[in-house]
Amino acid sequence: MLNDMEHIHREILDRRRNNRGLPPYRAKLIPEVTEILAQYFAHIRPGAVVSGVRRVGGGASKEQFFFTLSQDGKDEPFLLRMDPRSAITETDREREFVLLKAMQGIVPVPEPVWVDAKGAFFPQAAAIMRVVGGVTKPSLSGVKVSGLGTWLGPDLRLKLRDQFLDYLVAIHAYDWKSANLPGYDVPDADPKQAARWSFNYWAEMWRVDEGATRPVIALAEQWLADNLPDTAELVMTHGDYRTGNYLFDEESGQITALLDWELARIGDFHEDLGWVLMKVFGTIDADGTFRASDLFEREEFIREYERRSGRTVNRKTLHYYDVMSSWKTTVIVAANGLAAARSQHNHQDVLLTFLAATAPMFADDLVRLLSQGDNQ
Amino acid sequence: MIPTVDERIASIVRALSEVILPHLPPEASLAQEQVQLAIGHLQILRGQIDHIPAYEREELTDAVAIATALLPSITGGSAVVLALDALRASVGGADGHDVRGETRAIHQGIERLVKAVAIDGVSGANAVLTATILAYERERVIKDRKWFLPFGFDTM
Repeated sequence: MLNDMEHIHREILDRRRNNRGLPPYRAKLIPEVTEILAQYFAHIRPGAVVSGVRRVGGGASKEQFFFTLSQDGKDEPFLLRMDPRSAITETDREREFVLLKAMQGIVPVPEPVWVDAKGAFFPQAAAIMRVVGGVTKPSLSGVKVSGLGTWLGPDLRLKLRDQFLDYLVAIHAYDWKSANLPGYDVPDADPKQAARWSFNYWAEMWRVDEGATRPVIALAEQWLADNLPDTAELVMTHGDYRTGNYLFDEESGQITALLDWELARIGDFHEDLGWVLMKVFGTIDADGTFRASDLFEREEFIREYERRSGRTVNRKTLHYYDVMSSWKTTVIVAANGLAAARSQHNHQDVLLTFLAATAPMFADDLVRLLSQGDNQ
Repeated sequence: MIPTVDERIASIVRALSEVILPHLPPEASLAQEQVQLAIGHLQILRGQIDHIPAYEREELTDAVAIATALLPSITGGSAVVLALDALRASVGGADGHDVRGETRAIHQGIERLVKAVAIDGVSGANAVLTATILAYERERVIKDRKWFLPFGFDTM
């Protein structure tokens, strides 16, 4: 059963394993990216001129660049999203591209325009989308890695919270059964398959990237294997839904785009809820009040999700995905990120080793969660 | 030691902060981010460097303690017996010559024991294993969180 996972995840794991011996990756220089883009568009849109290439700051995963494409007197701004050789999350550009197309008109998302899924033109897999205005954090929130504890403040919080929750409900209500989503497998062989696919993928990723174990991590992995929950209803999940992964207009507080769909899959809505509710993505007031994504207190979020979605949150299943979220983030920061840095396959190794310092927080979460027992 | 490690790190931080960073062009956003992170890393290392050997020795001491607590309290079939033997050997080999390697070996031994208990631990073994690991890790993770506090992520 350990091999039971989505086909694309098997491919990603094999690619990760096979790429380990490749030479170091160097961050692309602006003239290099300009040249790559020029060659690409000479092939797919002859006569178009690339200009104004500039790097997008923030984020821990992809190399991203804004650029302008000019043709027939018209200038259009685009975003190039390009994989480094290895990243803190190893994902598939085509799969994200497919879902962004599907989500047009469902929730606000960037419009994807071109994809080079196999890196035929670009050095690595890449996708190009139209630029959407907005910011991922208030301009006065200080210099931090986007999303980790972003403080929005009362005014923005009030403007953003309903949208944040309503869009999550809309994603979970998406009729994926009627959609054409190549690359997305459906875990419907048995009720535990959705949880098992997620568990198997991340467990193998931990081994591929040689995560340094500690007793509570070993305990958490075994607990997750032993307590796979049934999934009552399969929905489209976002996979990384939190403040920091949406753009908003700072003046109006309107969410302009939901970002980072690369971990999306068909699965259990509790998996998204567990992720949203992680302490590391929230804020804690001086009086100890925790707010998920600085938007909702935990019980308030669960209650409002139930009210707006019409679903009932199964507390035992949510507890499972609370544990999985903390374990998964451990895999991401302490195995994926460090492996990418060790192999010199990333453009920002120093950020990856910096982020790995969060691992004890997730270990502490696991101690707390596993101490609560099975029945929450 | 002349120059001291502290003096060397301080000089690198100053070069990065006051010579290199101000001369990076505004459009070199990645370079600016990376230099700022490098400076942050070095400043944290500067504060920790004298305490690293003690921190790592304590990690090993804690690993030995948890393994020592587990060894007499877990029983089971052949998988558990083999895992216990391997863990016992790791603890026996922890003489402090290779602190990091010895800690890693004990942690791997505990991981193996966790898996073995799931295979053929006697009734109640899993509860004992879980309670023991959580009791020890509850204190250990607090030490680790404190150690990484200077990174600015944690709010403990």
